[in-house]
Amino acid sequence: MINDIRNTVLAVLNKNNYGYISPQDFNLYAQQAQMDLFEDYFYAYNYQINKENQRTSGTGYADIKKGYVEVIDFFSVTSNLSQNGGATDRFFLPSLATTGSDFYLINKIFIGGTELERVEQGKILLLNSSPLTAPSTMFPAYTTQGNIATIYPSLTVAPTVTCQYIRYPKPPKWTYVDLGNNSEPVFDQTQPDYQDFELFPDDATDLTMKILQYAGVSIREASVVQYAGAAEATENNSEK
Amino acid sequence: MSYLSQYDYYENGGNAPEDSNWGSYQYVSLKDIVVNYQLMYSGNHSLVNNEERYKILFHAKRAIQELNYDAFKEIKVLQLNVSEDLRFILPSDYVNWVRISYFQDGVIRPMVENIQVNSAKAYLQANDNRILFDQDGKALQPEYSPLDFSRITGQKPSIYLNSLSPYDGLMGYEYEGCWYFDFAVGARFGLNTETANANPTFRIDKKSGVINFDSTMANNSCILEYVSDGMEGGDDTQVTVNKLFEDYVYAYISYQILNGKLGVQEYVVNRARKAKSALLRNAKIRLSNIHPGRLLMNLRGRDKWIK
Repeated sequence: MINDIRNTVLAVLNKNNYGYISPQDFNLYAQQAQMDLFEDYFYAYNYQINKENQRTSGTGYADIKKGYVEVIDFFSVTSNLSQNGGATDRFFLPSLATTGSDFYLINKIFIGGTELERVEQGKILLLNSSPLTAPSTMFPAYTTQGNIATIYPSLTVAPTVTCQYIRYPKPPKWTYVDLGNNSEPVFDQTQPDYQDFELFPDDATDLTMKILQYAGVSIREASVVQYAGAAEATENNSEK
Repeated sequence: MSYLSQYDYYENGGNAPEDSNWGSYQYVSLKDIVVNYQLMYSGNHSLVNNEERYKILFHAKRAIQELNYDAFKEIKVLQLNVSEDLRFILPSDYVNWVRISYFQDGVIRPMVENIQVNSAKAYLQANDNRILFDQDGKALQPEYSPLDFSRITGQKPSIYLNSLSPYDGLMGYEYEGCWYFDFAVGARFGLNTETANANPTFRIDKKSGVINFDSTMANNSCILEYVSDGMEGGDDTQVTVNKLFEDYVYAYISYQILNGKLGVQEYVVNRARKAKSALLRNAKIRLSNIHPGRLLMNLRGRDKWIK
């Protein structure tokens, strides 16, 4: 998908010799565009829930929310958390170093079949003070500080703590072979650092428009920015 | 929780204790209550949304506590011997008492609560009755107040008809249906039904957490029937609620959350309140077990001749 999008972007930009963006710039814009759209999924998901509550959303093929759930779940990762030193109640939150990917949001942390509830730092002391609300092995809780999750109640033996989280999409990278002599770089997906977009193909248009907006700003071409912005807004409206 | 096999139910799957699952089908666990509530009554399309689990848990426990106080009719019973200090320490999960009896010769004898104070705190006093203090400014206290001392040593007379009564074992004379005793000031007419009980008496000192008995109770076995709050000493795994009240607990949680939430319309709160009250009423009627067999037994008694 990444090569198609790059070709489209270059085709639009090079119309009337407006400009050209290098592979390095394209990769930067592509990553930015992908993150923009990725974050939009969550807002769009919430928007669809509100529509359902207003009874202006359908079921079956008209169930737009289901599509967003599927896309978001594509980025779902379930992984065990690593213990922080010898402490039985502290665990490292997911990261590149510990679980292989950074988390965008933690959906749940659980021990066996029991889910831990995330509690704000400002509440945990109050919770622990009341016998009716104090975390127990049946209703455990956790707080986070920095990259550490502290679980309550602490146990004498560290349990196996598992986390299900939504990871960030991997940064896209259009890789190429440089033929030299000022010739165009040629797309090469066999490079080890090659990474396609992780978003679904139906987002290709949005990705193109986003990248065009960034590229338009880069080459100081207002009409490109305006065109891409308008095209994106039109598509967004049609999807609502 | 999944359903138990017959083997697990009757013999706990071969594990000890064998009886741990007996009767368990009547109850639903606290965990099931909270999980079911989160699944069925809370969420994006429900009246209750974006509520932390600890709030649901808190209200679930509060509902169970309230039910334990009266609706459940689940009376706990504790039997202990009363020592020479005539005290019975209240159980760790005690909330209120239902009946206190003493057990003697294989018979359970219900006791009455003494209408008079039988225990007091006291301060040490000088000859001029001034209170004595220690170096920290605290009033010095004796081990027993004079009232306690006379009760524990058996010197305190009783207004009840037990062996501590001033009239116990004494001779009197009866004139036109009334008993008279020569040594008492004034006359003793008839019988005060309120105190006409020969069993030992007690009085509960809630703040001190003890039941104080009169001295006739020393070394006797006491049976305390009491209600708890169902929290099982903080062990959430043991907290259960009768299935007849399951819907009520859900309704109670919804009501409490909606009632305390900003911006919820009054009619929504009212609806939740009415649902909660109706479900409690229904559950109480169900639990009272009114069925034809029992009614028949009561009705049979109406033709009995009372002599």
